Amino acid sequence: MFPLARFRVEERSMSPDLEPGDYVIVNRWAYRRRDPAVGELVVFRDPQRAGRYLCKRIADVRGDGMYTVRGDNEAISRDSRSFGPVPRGAIVGKVWRAERGRRGAVGPESPF
Amino acid sequence: MALLHSLLKLLDRVSPATTAYAHCDIPCGIYDPHHAQLAAHTVIRMVDLIGQLEKPGPNATGDQRQEFVNKLARYVATKEQHAEIFKSEVRILWADYFKPEHVQQYPQLHDLVWKALKSGSKGRQEINLAAAEEMLKHANEIAMIFWKTKGVPTHAAKAPYPTGRETVYPNIA
Repeated sequence: MFPLARFRVEERSMSPDLEPGDYVIVNRWAYRRRDPAVGELVVFRDPQRAGRYLCKRIADVRGDGMYTVRGDNEAISRDSRSFGPVPRGAIVGKVWRAERGRRGAVGPESPF
Repeated sequence: MALLHSLLKLLDRVSPATTAYAHCDIPCGIYDPHHAQLAAHTVIRMVDLIGQLEKPGPNATGDQRQEFVNKLARYVATKEQHAEIFKSEVRILWADYFKPEHVQQYPQLHDLVWKALKSGSKGRQEINLAAAEEMLKHANEIAMIFWKTKGVPTHAAKAPYPTGRETVYPNIA
């Protein structure tokens, strides 16, 4: 399996780090040797809708292989608060790079 | 790097990237089923007013006939308009507000919207109190689901208009 996967971002729960139209390159091997950590941006399968992927930030690591995810804009985000924790197996990988169009790349101050 | 973005965009044309939703649940506009409920009330009221209109008898004067036709025309025009507003508002809720998750949760939603639109057409075409009441009934059912998706409890109460029919209101403190 090739480690990198491309995704295109839609909707605004991760704004301003990720805006609609941004591309994210996900490292599917990121969690081969370690567990996802709090604060990391991940792409995972939507527990409420098959075939759909979501991009959120890890907010909490639970002992049982479950992860709480949150959108950066909590007021408008649908995340673990509505669908509960996400199992490790649903996580596709860690966002390695985010690429924005004309307005320039996502700044170096981005925490991922 | 904008260059890499352009490259990815180019690659997208060959094979589109999967979408990862930074999903938000807030409607991008402002929605409220009250418009549809209100429009249904107006249609009911217009049917009532048309029913109360005294029809000019064989001995009515020209002026009396003219007055009757004028009133009837105004009631019918208002009924047409508001039945159309009703249909438009129901379509907006259906197409713009409700999401696939809502339909999973309330599988009757598509059928309900379809029935609401049919009753709206009938209420518009005919002078038909049953059809107008059906419009309100469906609007109330849609309102109940709408407020449930927002976690807002509802209650039914008699509307404070001359139509006085039971209407679903959100319990907003």
